[in-house]
Amino acid sequence: MISTTAIEHLKEKLGAQNVLYEKEDLLVLGYDSTPGVHHLPEVVVYPTSTEQVLAAMEIAQREGLPIVPRGSGTGLSGGSVPVQGGMVICLTRMNRILEIDEENLTATVEAGVVTLDLFNAVAAKGLFYPPDPGSQKISTLGGNVMENAGGLRGLKYGVTRDYVMALKCVLPDGSILTTGGKSVKDVAGYNFKDLLCGSEGTLGIITEITVKLIPPPKDKRTFLAYFNDMRTAGEAVSKIIAAKIIPSTMEIMDKATINCVEDYVKIGLPRQMAALLLIEVDGHPAMVAEEAEAVEKILREVNAAEVHVAKTAEEAASLAAARRTALSALARVSPTTLLEDATVPRSRLADTFDEIERLTEKYQLKVGTFGHAGDGNLHPTVLCDERNADEMQRAHAFYNELYEKVLAWGGTVSGEHGIGLAKKEYLARQIGPGGVAVMKRIKQSFDPKGLLNPGKIFDEGDPCSKPHVEEGFRVSH
Amino acid sequence: MSRTDDKDLKGNFKPQDAPHYDDVLQCMRCGFCLPTCPTYALTGRERSSPRGRVALARAVAEQKLEFTQAVKEESFFCLDCRACTTACPSGVRAGEVMEICRSQSHAFYPLGTAGKAFREFILQKMLPSPEKLETSMLPTRLYQRLGIQWLVRHSKVLKLGPGWMEKAEGMLPELDKPLRTQLPERIEAKGKKRGKVGFFLGCVMTLMYPGVSRQTVRVLVHQGFEVITPRNTKCCGAPHLSEGDRQTARELALFNLDLFLDQDVDYIVTDCAGCGASLKEYEELLEGQAEHAKLAKFRSKIRDITEFLAEVGLRTEGLKPVNKTVTYHEPCHLCHAQGVSAQPRKLLKQIPGVELREMAEASWCCGSAATWGLKYSEESQKVLDRKLGNVRATGAEALVTANPGCHLQLAWGVREAGMPQQVLHLMELLGEATPD
Ligand SMILES: Cc1cc2nc3c(=O)[nH]c(=O)nc-3n(C[C@H](O)[C@H](O)[C@H](O)COP(=O)(O)OP(=O)(O)OC[C@H]3O[C@@H](n4cnc5c(N)ncnc54)[C@H](O)[C@@H]3O)c2cc1C
Ligand code: SF4
Ligand code: SF4
Repeated sequence: MISTTAIEHLKEKLGAQNVLYEKEDLLVLGYDSTPGVHHLPEVVVYPTSTEQVLAAMEIAQREGLPIVPRGSGTGLSGGSVPVQGGMVICLTRMNRILEIDEENLTATVEAGVVTLDLFNAVAAKGLFYPPDPGSQKISTLGGNVMENAGGLRGLKYGVTRDYVMALKCVLPDGSILTTGGKSVKDVAGYNFKDLLCGSEGTLGIITEITVKLIPPPKDKRTFLAYFNDMRTAGEAVSKIIAAKIIPSTMEIMDKATINCVEDYVKIGLPRQMAALLLIEVDGHPAMVAEEAEAVEKILREVNAAEVHVAKTAEEAASLAAARRTALSALARVSPTTLLEDATVPRSRLADTFDEIERLTEKYQLKVGTFGHAGDGNLHPTVLCDERNADEMQRAHAFYNELYEKVLAWGGTVSGEHGIGLAKKEYLARQIGPGGVAVMKRIKQSFDPKGLLNPGKIFDEGDPCSKPHVEEGFRVSH
Repeated sequence: MSRTDDKDLKGNFKPQDAPHYDDVLQCMRCGFCLPTCPTYALTGRERSSPRGRVALARAVAEQKLEFTQAVKEESFFCLDCRACTTACPSGVRAGEVMEICRSQSHAFYPLGTAGKAFREFILQKMLPSPEKLETSMLPTRLYQRLGIQWLVRHSKVLKLGPGWMEKAEGMLPELDKPLRTQLPERIEAKGKKRGKVGFFLGCVMTLMYPGVSRQTVRVLVHQGFEVITPRNTKCCGAPHLSEGDRQTARELALFNLDLFLDQDVDYIVTDCAGCGASLKEYEELLEGQAEHAKLAKFRSKIRDITEFLAEVGLRTEGLKPVNKTVTYHEPCHLCHAQGVSAQPRKLLKQIPGVELREMAEASWCCGSAATWGLKYSEESQKVLDRKLGNVRATGAEALVTANPGCHLQLAWGVREAGMPQQVLHLMELLGEATPD
């Protein structure tokens, strides 16, 4: 239990409005968007500066409290769930865009800036920040860096890591690490920046981020292609890639997803179709014209049922926006949506769809699949009810078997959502005991006392690091 | 898993009028609602967000939390603006869950005798009776008679700030005679007749904006509709729901349901977004208390006036030009609760001479929200300031809206801020274009 003195201290250093410890506040800061994992912290703080992060960490250290960094809690692997209680350090009030440097094409932001806010701010200056997770309206850049978030444009433009130039990071021992800078080239020593990207809040707390910006594409064209079966859609993706065309976006939705999204957005998506691909090519107008023609040709060759071209920029934008709601829209159908992040080499896409279909059948489940098809990154989502133990078990068996295939094909257990609590066992399977051991040693060197976001990415042999499921607690009037 | 299989778990809620467990379980915590919630924007506090509020309700249902004071506070701090409903891809309706929690809070935290007397006076005596409301309407004394002065003196009840009374009085428009008693019960259509509509005249409209509803009726008639305005229409029940008095709301709803179904009208039209939203939700409110077919029939006839005119098509021939630049504020209960957003814009664009200039965040709440603006006057001011900033940026001459609550708040805000905009109900604008 955190002492009242410590609370007082926190209030002194961070301001009373930035320290929350009422049960109702703890309760709503003990989850992220991952189903089934929830645990109460003892205190939540909202620092507004790097110094305050440091102060909060010192107090947590003194109290022996585990520290869990949090952005907006949109994570899909349980990364910001405080499984061992302790202190949640929520970065959302550090949300200033510090600088947009048009000479160096960089932007420097506090970690709690919302992804879309950065996108809009740089767009207003004629610049482009490409990473765009489906959650961009809500997620923070700190969270994006820590999960190495991908997005709808990942295929051509890459993921968050590809844009991070510098990080400011508070380490558990109270030191401040800055790594990288505005120099485009930098090979001085170990690459801490890359190590921190995707470290899921287990190595340090990011307070400032400098990202690379690029000039926006001059032109783009958006296609919507419908298919009578998933396999053909998968083939279309592989063929487009094999033709050496790299669209900026190549997103897939199956029938279940199409219908849920259409229920929400009502823009006339084809409810009867088995699959839909949202394809966008962008760049120099001449190249766009050429690529668009090639894409259309391939879509005809594989026998897409219908191919439509978005007529206006608004239409294209509304299609992308609709795609972003896929996961939440699927949650209409069932109380629980268990989603995975299976990623395969693109030549295996069609096989993966077959496998998903086979396993859906085998385990008698309802599954909606969507994802970043161009990246080989799929989100087969089991639509289930967490109150039904048997169904949940079948869901887990489904993923278990699917991942076996994915790994055998040289895929990965996470394309963008990270490992967190949800995929620790799968990770161990992918990288083996040697890999896990090295990761643990790296963790040790950053965080010798193991106070920072314990229980994530790999098991530390501690029973508390098993995902905790909403254990009961009572509060009286 | 420590969860039960109960399909409609009530847990620590009182069994009557508890949120449906399935409704709260539906939230997958994606956070899509966060950027649209005014109270989250104000506080940056998760529990004052739709996601947080639904999680609190879920915790109460799962017996992880009692119905605590904080849950009560959140249920009243929520504006019930329903922006989260529009934003939520999973179909969660956090605002409604909170509305239900308001009624729960009366069960858990009974008001003292003073508070109860006040509530009974307003909700059970005054609002259900059009006559009483009107006789209390000796203009400037409206708020006093409604109990506001009384309320301020007993401000412990709702923890109102001292500036409240001043604000309430400052918001009063110049009052005309109530419309209800003046409007003929039946008015014949002009020109080629297109149908017969029942006009649902709201309390606030008849009392505060009789001139607006007069225009609404004129427009309907001019558009070729016979208009029936039942004299004994009662309050739609929205204020009761908003204060957590579901019981009186149901009684009013049952009354209005029969009243209007007896009229044999093609549509039931209202120019008050709050009433429209409430009427459209009778189906849920009266579930199990009235015949389903009746409820469905009633529901299928309800239209907001802007929705109605856009649907039947505006007869534009003969309209007089109204040369004005206008911007449009979307009432929450129109765009979020009823999903009516394109229609008013379509009408605006059809009025000759009118130039529509879109404001940023047109569907962001104005901060009025029934009595919220009075209870949380400081927060309300911030929400209003954001709105006024967006209005100012358009440079439009008139600010058009379609709901009396917004109308009051915006007119007051514009005046306080010394802004030049004229605040109008869309029907006033259309009325101006409609020849005699
Ligand atoms: C509907 C929906 C769609 C999504 N679509 C995508 C998608 O297309 N692509 C994608 O990659 N992801 C997607 N996600 C997942 C999620 O949005 C991303 O992982 C996002 O980056 C998380 O950001 P956040 O601010 O919410 O972080 P949180 O969930 O709060 O935290 C994520 C992790 O980062 C850590 N962390 C957060 N901030 C800091 C910090 N400042 N310093 C140190 N550690 C920190 C936390 O401890 C945690 O481990 C989606 C999620 C949802 C709900
Ligand atoms: S209420 Fe809807 S939008 Fe908000 S977190 Fe829940 S599912 Fe997402
Ligand atoms: S109804 Fe409005 S104030 Fe209430 S939770 Fe939803 S968005 Fe927030």
